[in-house]
Amino acid sequence: MEFFSQNLLTILLLLPVFGAVGIVLHQMFWKQEEQLKWLTFGITLVNFVISIPLIFGTKTAGFSFEVNKVWIAAINSNYHIAVDGLSLWLVILTTFIMPIAVLSTWNAVEKRPTAFYAFLLLLEAAMIGVFVSLDLLVFYLFFEASLVPMFFLIGIWGGENRIYAAVKFFIFTALGSLLMLAAIIGLYYMHAEQTGIGTFDFVTMMRSLELGQLAIAGTAGTLMFWAFALAFSIKVPLFPFHTWLPDAHTEAPTAGSVILAAVLLKMGTYGLMRFNFALFPDQSREWAWLFIVLAIVGIIYGALVAMVQPDVKRLVAYSSVAHMGFVILGMFSFTEWGMQGALYQMLNHGVSTGALFLLVGFIYERRHTRAISDFGGLANVMPLYATIFVITAMSSVGLPFLNGFVGEFLIMLGMWKSTILGVTATTNWNYVATMLAGTGVIFAAVYLLWMIQRVFFGKVTNDKNKKLTDLSTREIGLIAPLMFLMVFMGVYPRPFLDAAKDSVNAIQKRVMHQAGGDVDHAERNADLSPQTAVKDAN
Amino acid sequence: MIENNLLSIIIFAPLAGAVINWLIGGRLKNELFSSVVACGSIAVSALVAFYIAFVADGGALFINKPILDQIWTWINVGGFRADFALGMDRLSGIYACFVTFIGLLIHIFATGYMHGDSGFYRFFAYLNLFMFAMLTLVLADNYLLMFVGWEGVGLCSYLLIGYYIKKDEARKAAKKAFVMNRIGDWGVLMGIFLVFTLTGSISFFDKTVGGEQVTSVFTYVVNTMSADPFTWGAIVAGGLTSIGVLMFIGATGKSAQIPLLTWLPDAMAGPTPVSALIHAATMVTAGVYLVVRSNAIYQFAPTAMWIIAVIGAATALFAATIAIAQNDIKKVLAYSTVSQLGFMFLAAGVGAFVVAIFHVMTHAFFKALLFLGSGSVIHGMHHEQDMRKMGNLRKYMPITFITMAAGWLAICGIPIFAGFFSKDEILYKTFAADNYFPGGLKFPGEEILWGVATVTAILTAIYMTRMMVMTFWGKERFHDALPGEEHHDDHHADDAHHADAHADDDEEEHHHALPHDFKPHESPWVMTVPLIVLAVLSTFGGLVGVPYAMSSIFGAGDVNAFEHTLDPVIAEKGEHGTSEIKEVKHFFASAAKPEAGAAPAHDSHSPEVLFKERVLAALSTVLALVGIGIGFLLFYKTPLRTMPKILEEKWRLDEFYNGYIVDPITKLSTVGLWKGFDIGFIDGIVNGIGHAVAEFGNVARRLQVGFVRSYAAMILLGALAVVGYFIYYGLKLVG
Repeated sequence: MEFFSQNLLTILLLLPVFGAVGIVLHQMFWKQEEQLKWLTFGITLVNFVISIPLIFGTKTAGFSFEVNKVWIAAINSNYHIAVDGLSLWLVILTTFIMPIAVLSTWNAVEKRPTAFYAFLLLLEAAMIGVFVSLDLLVFYLFFEASLVPMFFLIGIWGGENRIYAAVKFFIFTALGSLLMLAAIIGLYYMHAEQTGIGTFDFVTMMRSLELGQLAIAGTAGTLMFWAFALAFSIKVPLFPFHTWLPDAHTEAPTAGSVILAAVLLKMGTYGLMRFNFALFPDQSREWAWLFIVLAIVGIIYGALVAMVQPDVKRLVAYSSVAHMGFVILGMFSFTEWGMQGALYQMLNHGVSTGALFLLVGFIYERRHTRAISDFGGLANVMPLYATIFVITAMSSVGLPFLNGFVGEFLIMLGMWKSTILGVTATTNWNYVATMLAGTGVIFAAVYLLWMIQRVFFGKVTNDKNKKLTDLSTREIGLIAPLMFLMVFMGVYPRPFLDAAKDSVNAIQKRVMHQAGGDVDHAERNADLSPQTAVKDAN
Repeated sequence: MIENNLLSIIIFAPLAGAVINWLIGGRLKNELFSSVVACGSIAVSALVAFYIAFVADGGALFINKPILDQIWTWINVGGFRADFALGMDRLSGIYACFVTFIGLLIHIFATGYMHGDSGFYRFFAYLNLFMFAMLTLVLADNYLLMFVGWEGVGLCSYLLIGYYIKKDEARKAAKKAFVMNRIGDWGVLMGIFLVFTLTGSISFFDKTVGGEQVTSVFTYVVNTMSADPFTWGAIVAGGLTSIGVLMFIGATGKSAQIPLLTWLPDAMAGPTPVSALIHAATMVTAGVYLVVRSNAIYQFAPTAMWIIAVIGAATALFAATIAIAQNDIKKVLAYSTVSQLGFMFLAAGVGAFVVAIFHVMTHAFFKALLFLGSGSVIHGMHHEQDMRKMGNLRKYMPITFITMAAGWLAICGIPIFAGFFSKDEILYKTFAADNYFPGGLKFPGEEILWGVATVTAILTAIYMTRMMVMTFWGKERFHDALPGEEHHDDHHADDAHHADAHADDDEEEHHHALPHDFKPHESPWVMTVPLIVLAVLSTFGGLVGVPYAMSSIFGAGDVNAFEHTLDPVIAEKGEHGTSEIKEVKHFFASAAKPEAGAAPAHDSHSPEVLFKERVLAALSTVLALVGIGIGFLLFYKTPLRTMPKILEEKWRLDEFYNGYIVDPITKLSTVGLWKGFDIGFIDGIVNGIGHAVAEFGNVARRLQVGFVRSYAAMILLGALAVVGYFIYYGLKLVG
């Protein structure tokens, strides 16, 4: 048992890898293609089950389930993995969404199922690896490794325009991550230069920073900040790096879209929070305004463009741009509310946008089209599907008591109370930012309800839609857990927020406390209750 | 602090009803089962609401402390605390009672009205869900939970407007309602942020939760803040006035005020009981509730109050002018509702918060009655809503006629009827706004507002009389063709159509061309009994709030029970303009009435004031009678009199919004952002780079075919970047 708990993360990482090898071998020896999906489903389900102890075993502060073993001694790179409040829920989200994604492919894989399922499993390992790695080199490897399976998933099993989408996806993300690699190596040398020991270890770097042995400043610091930030911003994607997303989403098979939306995008926001904020707090503060501006532009831009999309999947993809804009906004508000809200919104987006892509997949499997104009009046023939779609859309719109609201509310509250933009004599820029971002909530209602109106309401106008069948048991089974989470996370967010609180607050404090002459200011806003703060201000 | 866990039953009973109807009712498809579940759950809710309001712990309406029920802590992050907790004080007590009571009546009515509809269970599940949301809104003990209810009623309204999903106008109206409400919700949300920023709390009541002391927003405002100046600048200063304006933006959305009013008339595409419950009696008055609930804030925000009064009066007049030219019976009532809501905001804006709530209540009685009456008419007319095809219905539907007549006289403001007292007080208090406006400030333009309100009152009498005349008097026009409508003379076709109509009853689209032998019929008792109850309330319900100026005529003394009940809800404040707050009294601080000496020089019982009020009351009665007279004069002989086109077309406001807001945004998004920026600009750059790299890769290493070479090229490029960086960094170290 002790072995199990000590190596829990390693098991989570290796099980899908061995699983991938296993199904390849299985196919080589037994040639039972029908069994592959069952095997893959089983492996991902087991992985989810064994990830559950993480929820109960993760301490509120510091790292848990830590493993730190020498990997490449020559360059001092270690196999250093652990979870804390920041990564815990993202790991769980990954293991949770995988069985659902596999189940969604049940009848959809028309060619080369062995490779398909092997790629899915490798992808899971890579994604978990990204969230648990504390060695920058290992992190980079996982970050890149997650790219490859997705590249093939889109490029081989995607829609008509799959090659273009896959290459675009690759160019964007690879460009960013190569810059990050440069910065990681730069950090290694910087550490070596200032402390005498080169390291890729994030925890060691943090300690050096705290002890004052390491200072990441100057042009090199800014360049490295931007190298990391660019890699992550492209992944998020932050406006204006978002144009790979609609293509990738639209062309990817359903499972690919679900994973892409639910987990892959979160690697970007997670990376910003974990590495950019911790390693480059000064630069993060300095450039926060730019990220806030881009986030707000993304929120409004994504919503406006989503509104006019003729393709349901592309519409959902653009809505992702808007939603991820909210996450960025919350993070860069550098307030407790904003950052916790951002983390929560990452999970919410995973659940509700994941669900939306699943739902789009259901109808695509039936009709092999996603054009809004091909539908109309679906609520008459598929009432259950329509109901679930409306609820999911409401969660995405941010209706209270569904999950999206809590995240968006905390993010906007955080931005409202943020001090990062500064207050001039005439204008509270943080108020302006929040008010602009808030319009995204209005637009969200516009584009989703307009789409629902055209797809589900009215009479059935297209004869091909008259004989559509409502959801099957399998489909209900795979959407049901997501529906449950939407409601649960909406009415009782505290277990999620409480588990993440200390880790997130530590990052928030780190960014705001190294504010040089601004320390007092930052401290006051972070520590005091608003009532006292108001009195002080008066 | 008084706790009573029964409170949660008020909201959870309807929720349980909704869930049962959805899960079990959907399988049984039994109308009796669905009716019993739906009406039963509301009956439970109503019983508990009345019990807590009048009996338990001394009765929430009589004691000066709220009755609270902490259910769980919803959000608690960094000092921001939002409980899922309910509280019933005098204000929410009155609301809870009339919402559950009228809700029950309308539920019962609907069991008759929706009879035979294939989505019967679904309708009642939505309706119960609405009651859950509405009661959450009213009973919430903090702004955020109120906002939950606020959005929840918006959702239910969306679902119920779009209930007839096959009707094109229904789905469009549903979306429009939700979006316009959302625009308003933005204001509420920003208002909540500002409330929290300024006061550190979002709670309505002082309370202790788990040993933690929670101070109410209003206590904090009243005790520690001073009034904002009466200037335009206060709106954007980020103080209490800003909160007031932001919250009012929300109210304009929910309560259909200028500029967000166009959704409400469209919302009439929903079933008529929905119009009565949601779009007349309860949900649309949520904006008034929000303003009155926040009165402590508004009293420190004179600019915001002035804006509310002006918008209210303007909306009242604007909607009344449209109502006069509509031919759809429900559209008349819808615009009338918008207009009456304007009256309520006018009252709140001049500082007469209690009167605003009084009018909310009387309006709930008579407007629910009128809507249900119109529903009964529509039901009897086989889903014909056009008044041009009615006439002389009093012969066929006597109960509907008599009950609706009570509502008609009530809304016109004929003495004794409920609407008279509330409307008259609004007019009087607008006239005397200086005395009620906070901070002892002079209210600019009170005479104009009073004039507008008076004209509106006359218009109200005219358009309501027109509606009654067209519907119940004159000759029968059931078979007349309308201009532009083909006259159906083919007997067989009519019969076929009629049979069709019964087969496909969830469509409400079969109202053209009634059969030759068609006779309207009176509705069944489940529909007429609620009408009768509401008629009684519309007739006598106003007597709970008879102002002193009138009761004293009959030597009855001060019998204004309504005002006395709500008085403690209105925050007492210090004098405006002094940095030092004197004589601060929290509205729940003590049971004792505030000292008379603290009140301004205005004495509401002085002979001159009483005289003025009585004269005005007499005047408005005369004007109401004149209005009714004009109505009969104009429309009795010629019910189909042509009305001004611009009024019939609703001042073309929808066209304006579409042409100048919706279309440009859509065009900008399609052409400018999507096709222009995304595909043209960004993708152009990226594809350019991609091609260049591909070429580069080609030259550098003639590798495999396909897209793998781009991969290789990228790695090469990346490696070069890395090397370049090292060289740069190494050089810097050396140098």
